[in-house]
Amino acid sequence: MDLELSEEELELRDNVRGVLAAACPPSLVRSVFEGKDTGDALWEQMVGLYWPALALPERVGGLGRTFVDVTIVVEELGRAVAPGPYLATVTQFTPAVSELGSPEQADRFLAPVAAGETTGTLAVAEHGRWEPAAVAAVARPEGSDWVLTGSKSTVLDADTADEVVVVARATDTAGIDGLGAFVVPGDELEAFPRRVIDPTLRICDVVLDDIEVPADRVLAEPGAGGTTQALRRVLDEATVAVAASTIGACRRIFEMTLDYAKEREQFGRPIGSFQAVKHRIADLYSIVERSTALLYFAALTIAEDDPRRREAASLAKAAAGDCQRLVAEDGLQLHGGIGMTWEYDLHLLLKRAKAGEALFGTAASHRAELARSLELVAP
Amino acid sequence: MRLTFDDTVESFRSTFRAWLGENRPSEEEMTADPAVSSAHLPGWARRWTRRMFDDGWLVPGWPPERGGRDAAPVETLVYLEELERARVPRTTNPQGLGIVAPSIFEFGTEEQVSRYAMPILRGEKSACLGMSEPGAGSDLASLSTRATAEGDGFVVNGQKVWTSGASHADFCFLFCRTDPDAPKHKGISVLLVDMDTPGVTVRPLPHITKPEQTDLNEVFFTDAVVPAANLLGQLNNGWALAGASLAHERGMVWLGTVMELESTFDRLAAEAREILPRLPAFEQAHAADQIVRCYVDVQAAKCLGYRSFAKLARGGSAPEQALMKAFCSESHRRLHLVGSELHGDGGLDVWDARRGEQAWIEQYFNSFGGTISAGTSEIQRNIIAERVLGLPRG
Ligand SMILES: Cc1cc2nc3c(=O)[nH]c(=O)nc-3n(C[C@H](O)[C@H](O)[C@H](O)COP(=O)(O)OP(=O)(O)OC[C@H]3O[C@@H](n4cnc5c(N)ncnc54)[C@H](O)[C@@H]3O)c2cc1C
Repeated sequence: MDLELSEEELELRDNVRGVLAAACPPSLVRSVFEGKDTGDALWEQMVGLYWPALALPERVGGLGRTFVDVTIVVEELGRAVAPGPYLATVTQFTPAVSELGSPEQADRFLAPVAAGETTGTLAVAEHGRWEPAAVAAVARPEGSDWVLTGSKSTVLDADTADEVVVVARATDTAGIDGLGAFVVPGDELEAFPRRVIDPTLRICDVVLDDIEVPADRVLAEPGAGGTTQALRRVLDEATVAVAASTIGACRRIFEMTLDYAKEREQFGRPIGSFQAVKHRIADLYSIVERSTALLYFAALTIAEDDPRRREAASLAKAAAGDCQRLVAEDGLQLHGGIGMTWEYDLHLLLKRAKAGEALFGTAASHRAELARSLELVAP
Repeated sequence: MRLTFDDTVESFRSTFRAWLGENRPSEEEMTADPAVSSAHLPGWARRWTRRMFDDGWLVPGWPPERGGRDAAPVETLVYLEELERARVPRTTNPQGLGIVAPSIFEFGTEEQVSRYAMPILRGEKSACLGMSEPGAGSDLASLSTRATAEGDGFVVNGQKVWTSGASHADFCFLFCRTDPDAPKHKGISVLLVDMDTPGVTVRPLPHITKPEQTDLNEVFFTDAVVPAANLLGQLNNGWALAGASLAHERGMVWLGTVMELESTFDRLAAEAREILPRLPAFEQAHAADQIVRCYVDVQAAKCLGYRSFAKLARGGSAPEQALMKAFCSESHRRLHLVGSELHGDGGLDVWDARRGEQAWIEQYFNSFGGTISAGTSEIQRNIIAERVLGLPRG
């Protein structure tokens, strides 16, 4: 098992980091926080660099690279607290269409993603739960069309995305897999943006008020079978991507804290020479490295479609959760007062790290998932 | 980044696996005559070491004359995986094979190689490491055991402590002070001292959970005479030898630890599957959460290990290595703590009758050996902070 980035992968990382340093400085992020900028120019630049096309097949105009590459990009986006539709479009909408839809639908919906013409997202969670069993929104057949009603929570970019994959359930399919997946144009949904701690992530709640979906926009018809399994695969990808974003933010917090401990002097010496500080920084380093190792293991299981991918995704998300807890807490504490100001960049990263914890299952919910898969508790 | 190894590496693995199947010591041999200290060589262990040496499987990365086959690092890695999987100890004298013999090859004379290093490789001799003293633990360089040049040799006076295996070892890799006037790191030398030298006495230190166990010892030196030919490397340059070990395997020592973590976890999970259903809901959830946290740690240690190995194999540096010692030993300790707590009042029992071995609580106390020896967890954090992260010394 080789868990280190290859030359090519390292090159991609450096390249992405360089682009973001120039195109997404903290000043831009702060403007988005303050509602003075939307970050649209940044997205156009990402499209120009083919980032949305990275892991898409060449058939739809993609570059045919792997999910490891996507993870690299997303980690860097987390590190830069980048705003924009990349996360939802590339790591939620795209796998939803590929895993749940037909090859024709993949061509139809993903070619515009590769070309940067369409953004998308995934509406699966309800009441903050992402597991397929929690889906209660209703899909009702009407001829060859379907009608969706109910509500969805915590949908990223629901107010701006061009296309939204909605997961809903048919109620009269007793005994069979009643889950279905539908592509709905974003402007047909009622999206309510929430005011959240990291405003660069547009987290919305959504109401489905009798939305009519024509047959050609049905990715997976309720009762078709296998939909829950396919949806789980989508969730694996989305979960690992959120872990990547979280860890990207955490690594930057760790680096800022380390630099600060070397620079800031009190009692006539750098605060990093005090052992109480030193050992905490060593622990931050350790937890960031450990979570990163699990993150890339998970990314690799997805890239190689290894049977361990589900478990690896939960391991990565659980580790990222513990990582952000420690790194955000000690990172802010060790900065002293300066960390509590709006002008200093640290808070942007702290907020991105915290936001990641709540999306696609908390660390605790992924540990619960692991407890079930290890057969420690009943399924 | 890849999940699998190349075919050539996998065929190396099959070759070793087949050899191992035919040549490994049997479970019966091993349990009938277990090694009772880290320098004890029971008959089966002597024969096993010799067989590995003869067939080039003792240190695969070394040339045939040193018990190897010039294997590549990644081949050594799969070799270690296979040994762990078969649950066969590579040696019952880890400090001899892993630290003492390689240091003698690196710094020793031909005579020292043939009298001390080769016999270790052939399973004929074992060695102990005489570093720590009552007044010199974490601050090893403050050691005060004296070796005074006299005639054609040295006269040694002083005391070592925690010397693993001293009561079984044939010789000691002894750090002593040869220049008391030099700065503390500059006046230290290493002597190879036969344990039957007059003036060397060993007093076993009864162990925290097994008072009858003789692994830890005090070693006293009273006017012990050591020939000058037993000085390893240069006089007063002993500190440079303190860090020597199987250099090409240094990036892999985590592997055994991680596989031990995995098998300990498997045992914990198996017992938990029986115990958890009997617990009230809150306690069940709490215990399951503790166990899953251990699982995350074990898998993280494993991924971190493979990642650092990949960096080293590409010729880069792997700062993760510095983290592995503290993190693995602390995870190991936590597994045993969780294991003992899982059993409630039964966790107080010292003997696990079903498995016929010490129960969790005793192994928990034993596990502090990992977080204390070879540089405590606190010292590891100092090293990470100062040498890896560049924080100023306090
Ligand atoms: C099972 C076992 C086997 C061993 N085998 C051998 C052997 O074969 N040969 C041998 O020579 N030695 C051996 N040792 C000794 C081992 O290397 C020492 O115990 C170890 O280096 C710590 O030294 P000490 O026990 O004197 O503790 P001390 O150094 O006195 O430490 C006491 C406490 O103070 C902390 N501390 C000390 N200095 C610092 C600092 N600078 N910053 C922060 N905290 C600090 C330590 O972390 C520890 O918690 C063995 C020990 C054990 C437990």
